[in-house]
Amino acid sequence: MERKLEILDELRTISPLLASMDKTNVFKIPDDYFQILDKRITANVLLKENKPHRIQEVPEGYFDQLAVKILSKIKGSKEEIKDISPVLFSLRDKNTFTVPAGYFENLYGSIFNKIGNEKAKVVSINSNKKWWRYAAAAAVAIVIMIGSLQLFNSRVTTGNNTQPVIVSANLPDYIKLSFRYKTPEQLENGIASLSDTDIVAYLEQHGDVLDDELISNSINTDELPNAVDYLLNDNTLNNFLKMTNAQMQNK
Amino acid sequence: MKPIQHDEELLALFKDPATKEQAFTDILKKYQERLYWHVRRMVINHDDADDVLQNMFIKVWKGLDNFREDSQLYTWLYRIATNESLTFLNQQKKRNAISLSDDENGLSNTIKSDTHFDANKLEWKLQLGIQSLPEKQRLVFNLRYYDEMPYEQMSRVLDTSEGALKASYHHAAKKIEEFILNH
Repeated sequence: MERKLEILDELRTISPLLASMDKTNVFKIPDDYFQILDKRITANVLLKENKPHRIQEVPEGYFDQLAVKILSKIKGSKEEIKDISPVLFSLRDKNTFTVPAGYFENLYGSIFNKIGNEKAKVVSINSNKKWWRYAAAAAVAIVIMIGSLQLFNSRVTTGNNTQPVIVSANLPDYIKLSFRYKTPEQLENGIASLSDTDIVAYLEQHGDVLDDELISNSINTDELPNAVDYLLNDNTLNNFLKMTNAQMQNK
Repeated sequence: MKPIQHDEELLALFKDPATKEQAFTDILKKYQERLYWHVRRMVINHDDADDVLQNMFIKVWKGLDNFREDSQLYTWLYRIATNESLTFLNQQKKRNAISLSDDENGLSNTIKSDTHFDANKLEWKLQLGIQSLPEKQRLVFNLRYYDEMPYEQMSRVLDTSEGALKASYHHAAKKIEEFILNH
């Protein structure tokens, strides 16, 4: 009390205004703040106090070996099931789920369709049947010509006459008779006389061998549409086939 | 109601592991309010004051074993609270990258943003006047005006001579009066 008065007197001498003012506390605190403050602080202090001990409990070199231990555990976990249940281990890599046949082959197409929000157009080869017919005929003509040349080059000299001979007795009739075609006109007439059955029969026997050569010889790669063009536009291939067909008909 | 224990008794109990926690709680209960208000007047915001008080008592717990009994516990606690408050204010200054005067304006703004703030009331003008003081003068004024601390004790808390503290208090009170009269 004495000190209080002493301090008040001191202030009166410095600032009578301040000395006359009430010491009103303008700051507010939450209700019951001081009732629980000691418990909060004690809990906080003890919590922080325990933290260093926990760190000290970590064995020496623990963090140096941590990565190795984790990796060995990851590897070990794969083998763990083997000890627990050999049956489950043997079944682990068997996939019990099935997918429809050809699912993955068609997956790209179906996704592409969904992206484009329209069905992919299929280019019909029926409308270009004539193109294939001419291609097959050309293939037969090439073979006949090759056969003719071989036959013409295989000759037997009898006296003063040199006669062409047939190299193989197994050749079909249209090959055996090919030596008759000595001029381009005769060759064209011979090709024109071929029946569809002859052409089909020939292609069935020799089509595999001739396909690549036929295509590479009969198609001008300069005229082929770019891959980008026909990927972007479904009509590109159709238009190309129609154009080729028209050109062959005009020849 | 438990009688107020003397500091010497509390310190002896703190040194015994069996009664350490209880002694610490009793010290807290004895000084928490005074120390809270000392911190609050410095940092103004309640949450900041609460943080500073928590940190301060963590240091008290760690340092009390080494406390020299030739000094007063009360003075020692005030010293820690003061240092923690000043450290907090310095951290805030660095965080906000603002100058000392700006920070003081920041504390003034905190006062003005109080829901009960009334610029016409003398008690609020007093608070704004206190915030207009430099940090050291503010500390001296608060300890003398609110805590009614003798210069001899204050000298130990702030590690400053009694004469310098008297002069500082005088200047502080004059500036605050001037502030109130001019605002």
